[in-house]
Amino acid sequence: MFIVSFLRVIKFSIQDIARNIWLSIATIMILILALFSVNMLLTVDLVSKAAIESIRNKIDVNLYINPSADENAILALKAEISNINQVKDVTYISKDEAMNIFQQRHQNNPEILEALRELGENPLTPALVIKPKNIDQYDSLINALNAIDNPIIQSRNFEDHKALLEKVNNISHKVSEAGLIISGIFILITLLVVYNAIRVAIYTHRKEIGIMRLVGASNWFVRAPFLFSSVIYAFIGVLAIILIFYPFLSLLQPYLEAFFIDYQINLISFFNSHFLYIFGLEFLGAVAINGIASLIAVGKYSRV
Amino acid sequence: MIRLQNVTKIYHPDIKALNKVNLHIRPGEFVSIVGQSGTGKTTLVKTLIGEEKVSGGKVIVGGWDITRIGQSEIPVLRRQIGVVFQDFKLLPKKTLFENVSFALQVCGYPVKKIKSIVPQVMKIVGLEGKMNRYPQEVSGGEQQRTVIARSLVHRPKILLADEPTGNLDSINTNEIIDLLLKINKFGTTVVLVTHNREVVNQLRKRVITVENGIIVSDQAVGKYVL
Ligand SMILES: Nc1ncnc2c1ncn2[C@@H]1O[C@H](COP(=O)(O)OP(=O)(O)O)[C@@H](O)[C@H]1O
Ligand SMILES: [Mg+2]
Repeated sequence: MFIVSFLRVIKFSIQDIARNIWLSIATIMILILALFSVNMLLTVDLVSKAAIESIRNKIDVNLYINPSADENAILALKAEISNINQVKDVTYISKDEAMNIFQQRHQNNPEILEALRELGENPLTPALVIKPKNIDQYDSLINALNAIDNPIIQSRNFEDHKALLEKVNNISHKVSEAGLIISGIFILITLLVVYNAIRVAIYTHRKEIGIMRLVGASNWFVRAPFLFSSVIYAFIGVLAIILIFYPFLSLLQPYLEAFFIDYQINLISFFNSHFLYIFGLEFLGAVAINGIASLIAVGKYSRV
Repeated sequence: MIRLQNVTKIYHPDIKALNKVNLHIRPGEFVSIVGQSGTGKTTLVKTLIGEEKVSGGKVIVGGWDITRIGQSEIPVLRRQIGVVFQDFKLLPKKTLFENVSFALQVCGYPVKKIKSIVPQVMKIVGLEGKMNRYPQEVSGGEQQRTVIARSLVHRPKILLADEPTGNLDSINTNEIIDLLLKINKFGTTVVLVTHNREVVNQLRKRVITVENGIIVSDQAVGKYVL
């Protein structure tokens, strides 16, 4: 008996949706927009995290060494710096290694390589490349490095990575905030639209509802189809967003790859590996929001 | 079967639709309730099916005090009382068969049972040959007979008919009244609310007259006295 009733609830629910098909479509559209903005928010979050991570990896401090410095003095300096608290590691790049790196980097640029050859000698300076342990200690690291007074240090290049990092952080916060507000607005609109759709569905079916009540249909049987409709909306909405968002991500991917030259980022594989988590949660969220909206509508309008 | 004790119903803000009504209807009775428009007849019917809560007094149906019945118990009550209203509440996009089976579907009956019950009640009301027609393809009397058939699917002990002939001509009216008498012969208690003087006078059954929410006469073999 329960299964029979349950199947009838599903049947009635589908009939409800079909009878107001355009309203149903509009409702699902709004739901899709809301889901899209939520997924966009997630994407922005992923991308900005990747951007910050890639900058963090790039942050290092170069100490240029006087080319005529003695090898032992350089190694002593390296050891001294290694002992600084905030330092993760120090790499010594000799004149020749610097040359190798330079040539490799410009291997597709024969003019520069030609100019270098004409120069006859290696113009590059050896360097100590220092990676900080923690980017938040960047300032104190710089101070510590500035405090070292060693004649073999030719120059110190402390690019202001921190400011850049802060900028990225700021931007991503602002984008996330905007995304959060937009998602919130869409979720609110979804609530209202689903509420309205269920209200109209109840109005369209007021005669049936009246008869149901008259012949002794239970309350849950009168209400369940409308609640179930909202679950169907959620299901179709999430299904649609899956179909829409993957192509969208593959459109985005080449731009991301161009932007993060030496940093691996793949949104599609992220969404793939968290598929159930992301879309399952979104489905549950949509069911919850739609459920609340239709519960209110049913509670308010289905008393006939 | 039905007992009202000092039943009062006040609609907002101060319309006294029923005023200390006392009434006892025994099982198997056929009772006509007459009275002018707006005297509280429909309100009386609605209190019996739990659609309106009374403002005072007690309503007992089949030994069950439904005065302060809960929302979840109302369906149980409704399955024991068949109700027919003046406006034929049929669904226009469903055939007569589907209209009657709808009542069973929404109460969770399995298809097999529906397929055996519906032809039975359609036969009682004499429409077994027109089950596949749509409401607009049959007469008003036949539509109302379908509504009566629908009200019988739960084999109710009580049938409440609120002006079931209000929209019908005299031939169709007589058919409906004959049908109600037939249902009464099966043992169902029938309460007929009507305006129709001839109908009441022909019936030669108990007549209760209501005026301004008060029962002004109650005769075992009554006439329409207004
Ligand atoms: N839902 C309602 N709200 C307020 N007043 C109502 C309502 N239903 C009926 N009434 C009033 O109660 C009185 C009795 O109505 P009703 O029972 O329908 O009378 P009858 O069926 O005898 O014509 C009338 O004055 C009517 O206007
Ligand atoms: Mg009336």
